[in-house]
Formats: sequence, C-alpha cells, structure tokens
Amino acid sequence: MNALVSVDHLRVEFPTDGGTVVAVQDVSFAIEPGETLCVVGESGSGKSVTSLSVMRLVEFGGGTIASGSLSFTRTDGTQLDVAKASPQVMRRLRGNEIGMIFQEPMTALNPVFTIERQLTDGLILHKGLTREAARARALELLQSVRIPEPERRLRQYPHELSGGMRQRVVIAMAMACEPRLLIADEPTTALDVTIQAEILALINRLKREKGMAVLFITHDMAVVAQMADRVVVMNAGKIVETGTVADIFEKPQEDYTKSLLAAVPKLGEMAGKAVPEKMRLIGDADARAVEAAKTPVARKPEVLLDVRNLTTRFPVKGGILRRTVANVHAVEDVSFTINVGETLALVGESGCGKSSCGRSILRLIEPESGEVWLGGRDIGALNAFDLRRARADMQMVFQDPFASLNPYRRLKDQVAEPLTNFGIAKGPALKARVLDLFDRVQLPRAFLNRFPHELSGGQRQRVAIARALAVNPKLIVADEAVSALDVSVQAQVLNLMMDLQTDLGLSYLFISHDMAVVERVSHYVGVMYLGRIVEIGPRAAIFGNPQHAYTQALLSAVPVADPRQRKFRDDVRFKPITSPIFPTGHAAEPSVYFEVAPSHLVLQN
Amino acid sequence: MSLTYVLNRLLSVILTLFLITLVTFGVTNILPGDVAMMIMGTQSNPEAMAGLRASLGLDDPLIVQYGRWVGGMLTGDWGNSLIFRQPIAVLLGEKIAASAIIVVMSMTIALSLAVPLGVWAAVHRDKWQDTTSSSAALLGVSLPDFFWGIVMILVFARWLGWFPSSGFVDPAEDFMGALRHAFLPSLALGLGLMAHLTRMTRSTMTGILEQEFIRVARAKGLAERVVVWRYGLANAIGPVITIAGLQVGYLFGSIIVMESLFNYTGMGWLTYQALLNRDMPLIQATVFVIAAVVMLTNLLVDLLYLAIDPRIRLD
Repeated sequence: MNALVSVDHLRVEFPTDGGTVVAVQDVSFAIEPGETLCVVGESGSGKSVTSLSVMRLVEFGGGTIASGSLSFTRTDGTQLDVAKASPQVMRRLRGNEIGMIFQEPMTALNPVFTIERQLTDGLILHKGLTREAARARALELLQSVRIPEPERRLRQYPHELSGGMRQRVVIAMAMACEPRLLIADEPTTALDVTIQAEILALINRLKREKGMAVLFITHDMAVVAQMADRVVVMNAGKIVETGTVADIFEKPQEDYTKSLLAAVPKLGEMAGKAVPEKMRLIGDADARAVEAAKTPVARKPEVLLDVRNLTTRFPVKGGILRRTVANVHAVEDVSFTINVGETLALVGESGCGKSSCGRSILRLIEPESGEVWLGGRDIGALNAFDLRRARADMQMVFQDPFASLNPYRRLKDQVAEPLTNFGIAKGPALKARVLDLFDRVQLPRAFLNRFPHELSGGQRQRVAIARALAVNPKLIVADEAVSALDVSVQAQVLNLMMDLQTDLGLSYLFISHDMAVVERVSHYVGVMYLGRIVEIGPRAAIFGNPQHAYTQALLSAVPVADPRQRKFRDDVRFKPITSPIFPTGHAAEPSVYFEVAPSHLVLQN
Repeated sequence: MSLTYVLNRLLSVILTLFLITLVTFGVTNILPGDVAMMIMGTQSNPEAMAGLRASLGLDDPLIVQYGRWVGGMLTGDWGNSLIFRQPIAVLLGEKIAASAIIVVMSMTIALSLAVPLGVWAAVHRDKWQDTTSSSAALLGVSLPDFFWGIVMILVFARWLGWFPSSGFVDPAEDFMGALRHAFLPSLALGLGLMAHLTRMTRSTMTGILEQEFIRVARAKGLAERVVVWRYGLANAIGPVITIAGLQVGYLFGSIIVMESLFNYTGMGWLTYQALLNRDMPLIQATVFVIAAVVMLTNLLVDLLYLAIDPRIRLD
C-alpha cells in the first residue's frame, strides 16, 4: 500500500533581492493513512514551509518548490505529484482532500463574513451542495467539534466567538469535506493551556473517528510527546532525525535532538527539589553553562517586596456620554511578598490579571487601592519625582524584545540610557559599566555598535535584561520574558536570569503562562484567576499538592514532554473563564484565604 | 447596540451643525459692511440706509438676528438672494440637484477606477503593475484638478467633439443631455479623487492579503479570484469608503473651480457668484448647506461601514 503522502528530496527556495534563500532542502518523509506525524523544530527550521509545500501554498508567499516531489495518494487511489500539479487540480485538492488549520484562530476567520458562509463555501465548491444542504452539514460539523449552541453560531461573526471556539470553527472548516490529511500548523500555540488541551483532544478524537492522517507542525516538544505517532525533527531547513515518538524521546540519536529535549522543562521533574535548578544544556556552545549548573545559595528570608490588597480596575465606557458603565476588575485584592534573592511566579491564563498586577506594582498603571512596599518604602505614596527615583530599584523585562528596544539606536546607547537618565555614570565610567553589563548577560562586545534588527530574539532579550540591570535594581518584573523565544534560547536566558539571581541577589516577579518553566525557576508560585490569586505558596506545594480547583485544572491541562504520560485521548472540557467585568458600584468581596500548610494559601470561594 | 451608535452619531451631527450655524453667522457678521450697505451701495443716503437697516432687523442685537436666521432656516424661509432676487431655498434646491450629478458621477468614476487599480497593485505588490499604478496615482495627485479640466475640454470637446465643453442642462428636461454636460467636469474631478483612493485601496488591500484568513481561504481551495475580490475586498472596502466620504468635502471645494471652468451652473458656480458679489444671505446659506451635505455624507458612510463590518455593531 502506498503512503498517503510521500515527500522526496524537497527543496524550497525564496528568491529575494539579496539572492536565493533556501528555506528547505533535501527533506524526505512519508505519512501513512491514519497516523500523526509531528514535524518539530525551532523558528527558521523550515517546518512551516514544509507544511505549506504539501498544499503548495508556499507559492503565495513567494516561495517555489525548486526540486523534489510531493506524492499524494488521492481518494480515487491515483498518485499525484503536488509539486507539478496544475493550479486547477491543486484547488480541488485544497480543502477537499487536504484540510489545513493555522496558528492564529483570532485572524484565521474572515471578520466580515458569518460563520455559516465560511463553513459552507468549501462544501458548495467541492461537494456541489446546495446552500441548504451545506448549512445542514455545517451544523453537523459544529456539533462534531462540540461547539455549544451551533445554530446560533452559524449566524454569528468571528468576533463574537472566543479564541478556543474560533479554533474549533477553523477545525470544522478544515474537516468539512472529510479530508484524508489534516495539516495543523502550530494550531495551539496562540491558545491558553486549557484551551490547548481541549483542541489537542479534539484533533485526536477526529483523527480516530475519521481515520484521518495528521501532519502536525509545532515547536513544542511537550505537544509532540502528546500527539505524535512519528516525529520528524528539523533544523535550519533540513531533517535532523526521524523516528517513532518513543525513539525520539527515549533514544534520540542526534545531538540536536538531545539538546532540544534537554532544554524543555518537563512538568513534575522538580518534585522533591528544594530550590530552582538551571537547565542542563547540551552542546559545546553551552559547556560553560553545564559546568556552572550549581544550586543557588540558600539565603535567610528577608522580605523585599510586600504587596497588600492591590486592586486595579479599568473603566469600560459606554452610552452616548461615554460614561464609565462598568469596570474590568483586572487585579482584585492581591497580596503577596517576595524575599530578597527569590522568585515569585504569577501564573494564569490570558486575561487573569498577571501582567496588570506586575505593571501596577511599578505604577506603570495606577492601582485603584492597596499598598506596595519595596524595601520598606511605600511605592504607592511616592510623588512623581520620588517614583522616578524608586524605579531604579524595580525594572521590567517585557515579552517582545524587538518591540521594547528602539530600532534606531545602537545597543550600547540603549543599555547606557538608564545610566544617564538616573545620573549614575558618565564618560569613561559609563563606557566601562556598559561593557560590564554586556559581559554579564554574555553578549559579545562586538555587538556594542549594532542595532536591534541585527540580533536574534534571544540576544535581544539579553540586551533588554542588560538594560534592566544597568541601574542595579533589587526587583525585576519579568513579564513573559522568555515566552517568545525558542526553547533552547529560552533555556539559556532562564539560566542567565538564575545566574544573575545567584550573583546579584536579585528578586524576580516572574509572570508567565508556562507552568513547566515556572516550576523550574520559582521559589514561590501564585496562581491567578479573574484578577485574584486563587492559590499561593511554595513551589513544591503548588505543584505537588494543588488545592484550588483552578490550579488543579491548569496543571492537568499542561502537556508533559513524555510520550508515556499522554493526557488528551478523550474529550477534555474545562470550565470556560467568565468575565471580570462588573457594573460600577459593584462591591468586590475581599480575598479570604485558608492556610493549608505554612505559607500555602488557598482562596475561599 | 447599533441603535445607540446611530443615535450617538446623529447627536454629534446635530451638535456640529449647530456649531456651523454659529461660525457662519459669526464670520459673516465680523466682515465689514452689512446687507443694507450691499443693497444700497456705499454712496447712499444715510437716513434711507438706517431705515432699511431697521426694516431688515439689522439694528436688533446679534443674538436676536441669529435666532431669526436659525428660525428661518428651520422653517424653510431662507430669505432672498441679493443678486438673484429669488428665494434662496428655491435657488439652492436647483443648484444642489445640478451639483449632485457631478458629485455622484465623479465619485463613481473615481471608485470604479481606483478600486480595481488598487487591488491590482496590491496583488502584484512590488512588481511592475504596482509601480505603474503608484506612478499613475502620483500623477493624479500632483496635478491640480483644473489642469485635468483643461485637458478634458481640449481632448473630448475640442478634438474629439464627443462631449459639450460647457453649460448645464436640466435633467428634468433632458436626462441624457444633463449627464453629457456633467461628464467632463466629473471625469476631471474623478481623476484627482481616484489617485488618493487608489493608494488607499492598495495599502489596505496589501495588509489584508497578508492576513491569515486569506491563507485559510486559499487552503479551502477557493479560486484566487474569490479569495482576492470577495474575501479580501470585503475587508478592504470599509476604509476606502471612509476616505471617499471625507473626499466629498474636498470635492465641494473643487467644484467651485470646475463648475466655473465648464460654466456649469451648480452649487460651486453659485458659491462663486455669491462670494464675488458679497451676497451675505446666500453665502451663509451655501456654507451651511455644503457643511450639512458633507456631514450627512460622512454619517451615511459611517452607517454603511456599520453594514459592512459586523465588528462595529458590537459597541
């Protein structure tokens, strides 16, 4: 029997002004009917280009299949070389025999057409259904992806649906004509972890029910472990290693695969360990890091940051006079402390208020009420002048270093900026300090005169960290600081942050959605939900003995980078997150906690 | 929700119209010389002038005069034009109808050229088609309207003799004749408008074509024609129409020159005559009417946007 898809020596090129860029070369693999093949790799590995080539959608992005063949077994049993097929034949294949889902559910649906129109146009086109028949089928599809109130959804527009629901619609759209191959290009990367769990389970169920093959593209080894039958590891446009999921995870042959796996924090692997531990990095470039992977020194606890009953609200304007009609209770009665030299992680899903909390502490947004004490000083009571001075003690590192660095200024000037702003150093001393900071974040001095676009994402984030360190802060608020980075780079930056903590006694407020990373780096963890901390305590207690229903749900939804711990076989359903918007005058109840164990607090409902 | 939005917009239109009455009334009263002087001339008998002033109510306090003017506007008594010696309401009614033909026709010409050209440029981004379209747009933007007017007269009226070079025909009497007379000024105006709209269509469409839903549409197997012209354009048309609506204001400035050039007796021509002869009541009325038309057009565009883009209906 023929493989469903057989890719042979694929080479994809992108002609640019600066010459031809080879995005993918010598890539060969096969997908058998009914199996899930995961293609995993970091950014620039060519995994997405490969998946787009199977549909021959690369050409719309300016790419060309330069050589190789992509053989697809059609429904009627004939073989078709996708690389050479006519555009007409390709159109009959797309959406009909091959379905595809993409990364961004928020933008994958046309905002000005109803769900019905977008679900039915493929059916009308490929299956020749009448509008009524297509509508009935669309309803069936929405039911099969378990969307509540499917009739109503058909009449709705994309913006009326949540992200998770939109991704279900996109999947329903891809499944409409019962394709034999579903290509999923990072389908859960933009989603919250509970929604990700639901979508992964959905893809697994549909695959099983329809006997459909899945080509699953992802950067996330944990998702690979959960989904794949077989795995293709790609790097820099080439295949590194191919094998069954068990082989790849348990007996990886290539160094690249090994280092990739080593860089992935695995949920649960910190059980029984007292303090955060650096990542084990493999490969010559990081030999130094391995050698330095020592346990950070334990300190006598001394409170640096004390947040008491912090509340931040955003007004919702409405009506003809644009009055405040309601408030988003972004941060609601949040209290915690961070010790000198320790890390408190705030975890939660999008919209839970973790970022607003971080910004409220620095008064980048003004809190409604509550107190923030930093080293014995009440930040909330400071006037504008003193607040500016106090900000030297608390710095922030943001998620997107490309957006947080000025594209028109040299890196040395950007790192020097806070020093001149606060009048800390000038002249030769300034220069020396900048050099020192570059060394500290392990950036080559050759980068001093470069601009942000000349650096990789990880290097840029190092610059952002150097800039935050410039003023010798006591506290760094890291808001999803490693979320946009590739795993191997993420591991390096995390290690750097942990080294800095050991050497300088820094405290971190580590804001993240990634439970596995949080488990690795933090001393204390606070779980946020709808603006409140629902559970807070020592890291081991939160991960080992979660008490609040939401913490438990969150942990159960995290994919584990271990194919022996598969979670998402059957339908998974989490309680949808409600809205933190309340009418003006709504009196929010105080957060009352129950102490499960010393310093392990759980919110009482 | 959308009802609140419509009410909101209507309220702001009414408020702005009120401000416009204040401004037009204020400005025309600050200018030296009043209506009585315009009627009787500077050399007239001061006693007769005083009598006329009293009979016209010009001795009343400004607030009373303003109230009378606004009251008249609301009840349809817009007063008489000094130079045409006709009721202004009747006069304006005729001329608006004449200019409406030009406004609609030039906008139709502009949109029906600009949208395809802009989409074409966006689809072939950074290729020769794009360069051609951008250059054409730049040419249209950089040359003044009256230049195109002269070119039109030379080419289509003088050399080819296809269209009349001047004059106005009442559409109630001869509809085709009216269109033929309006065509050249409309074409000249349309070319100027087209340039902006082409660039707007191109840039909006370029952004839209990079969106994920376009890729999704292609992945569904839809033909490129459908992907671009339905999926893409449905999203790009909103901003284009908004710009077109704003251009209606600019258009009323341009028709003053264009109608005079083509001796087309519409609003533009009337405004020009009123200004030339210091016909104060007429100036006040034309300014008010033009402002009102521009505002209503933009209101219409906003409502149209509401129909096109479901996201706005939400709040």
